[in-house]
Amino acid sequence: MRVRTGRFALGVAVVTVPVVIALLGPVLVGGPPAREASFAGGEGHWFGTDFVGRDVWYQVLHGGRPVVLTALAATALAYLVALPLGLAGALTHRRLVEELLMRPLDVLLAVPSLLMILLVATVFSPGAVGLALLVAVVNVPDAARLVRATATEIAARPAVEALRMQGETWWRIAVGHVGRSMLRTLAADAGTRLTGVLYLVATAAFLGVGAAPDAADWAVMVDRNRTGLFVQPWAVVVPALLIVALTTGTNLLFDAALDRRGRNPGGTCVREP
Amino acid sequence: MSGLRSFVARRLLLGVAQIVAVVLLVFALTEALPGDAAVALAGDQPDPARIEAIRTAMELDRPAWERLVDWAAGLLHGDLGTSLTSGRPVTWYLVDGFGPTLLLTALTVVLLVPAGLGLGVLAARYEGRLADRLISSVTLAVYAVPEFALGVLLVTVFALRLGWLPPTAVGHGADLLAHPGVLVLPVLVLLARPVCSLVRLVRAGMIDALASPYVAHALRYGVSGARVRYLHALPHALAPAVQQLARTIDWLLCGVVVVETLFVIPGLGTVLLGAVGERDVPVVQGLAVVFGVVTVVLNLGADVLAHRLAPRAGVAA
Repeated sequence: MRVRTGRFALGVAVVTVPVVIALLGPVLVGGPPAREASFAGGEGHWFGTDFVGRDVWYQVLHGGRPVVLTALAATALAYLVALPLGLAGALTHRRLVEELLMRPLDVLLAVPSLLMILLVATVFSPGAVGLALLVAVVNVPDAARLVRATATEIAARPAVEALRMQGETWWRIAVGHVGRSMLRTLAADAGTRLTGVLYLVATAAFLGVGAAPDAADWAVMVDRNRTGLFVQPWAVVVPALLIVALTTGTNLLFDAALDRRGRNPGGTCVREP
Repeated sequence: MSGLRSFVARRLLLGVAQIVAVVLLVFALTEALPGDAAVALAGDQPDPARIEAIRTAMELDRPAWERLVDWAAGLLHGDLGTSLTSGRPVTWYLVDGFGPTLLLTALTVVLLVPAGLGLGVLAARYEGRLADRLISSVTLAVYAVPEFALGVLLVTVFALRLGWLPPTAVGHGADLLAHPGVLVLPVLVLLARPVCSLVRLVRAGMIDALASPYVAHALRYGVSGARVRYLHALPHALAPAVQQLARTIDWLLCGVVVVETLFVIPGLGTVLLGAVGERDVPVVQGLAVVFGVVTVVLNLGADVLAHRLAPRAGVAA
């Protein structure tokens, strides 16, 4: 127990810095400072200047928001599609409907996620919204499968049988009972999924998908300022450290939080609420 | 319920369906666009001559299904089409980039298996003790870190501060084996995420297996601890790990693209990213199909192997 509490505290501590910067950063600073020589150090700039002479600290304060918001939006969107899909697949009595809903997802699971994003990026130039949509789509098959597996297990319980025999509506059974019983498993999955989505969003931005080449975005900063790594490492190291803190902290936090609230993120032994 | 053979048959069928889906998806995402594909592909310089050139090169005047059939028929014969920008066959691009990428991934997998199994078994053996807590915490933390962030930080420390290793592979061309120092950081970065996931799975599987009645029974018979651990418990713990090993191919692909960009290694990832940047559709399509098929085949192999290791596990198929 002590270990988990420690890990929880560590997670909170690690994730606080990047999240606070991401959410409050743009509020905390005023207008952009004047441009100077690129990759200059010191003289009124905490972390020097970047590849086009902008203040690195100012860029850092603005660069977290796109990463965090895109990741949150993509995770939410993925569940918005996966939940009804998985529930319908689990609760339908017609095998054909289940196969029609779930088989295409099995097939889609085979396509590597980054590959799908790069394929789309060949033809379109997706912005932040496009990237969120793409990452959400990539996550739907896996999320829907998990929802279905969890819901099938719950739907086979005597309680659901009893509800059915009482003549409760499909809606009441699906949302009121099965949906509610799934919450813990879903919370565990949402934690790992958010970590994966953060990874994908940041990596795509680093590769130049979903963000303008001069955007204030931690991943884009790492990419663009790499040319000056030997002259002005702060422009790369600060955003890179913030991304590491964000992803690591999120993972530690969710792992510890879910560990404390009862076991098993695998989803096989969900307890009755 | 059903034996190994019918499982393999069903899994093979799924594999074939997945390959067909990959081919259809690649085509649909890049060619069956709403609107004029040639205009979209011309990108920032919508010069009429260039748009016309793209249209003829990709035969956009023909209906989409005709192009799909032609392209898919070509794929079966190993003809992946020709590049829009250079006019070279796509297969040449594949041949060019194949060596460095194969070297990187092979090295990673060779190091991944012993490292993952060793650390996983170690953590399970000392469950709850210092070694386990250390391994579990570090793997949990590193598991989530994107390769590019880890990579630039390692470069800053080991190449910039300490000067132990070269920061990139610039100047060595495709002959990376002659300069092993160049490979250390890329392989390390590529290894980080898969190792963490493998260690966690092996640890969890081993803890379950070591607590099982058959292990207790074997120990009661006086079978030595090491024998029980490696010959009795480990195979059962491996079934989920083998599947994960194949899932990490997905990550390796992501990782290879990032690592090759970061360390300037002329492999398939660099070729793919270059083609995406130039909107060179045939090259992207060809590489995507190859990557997709490799992923499908490896996943298939892993599922069959996992089924063989633990037939009860009920692998999804």
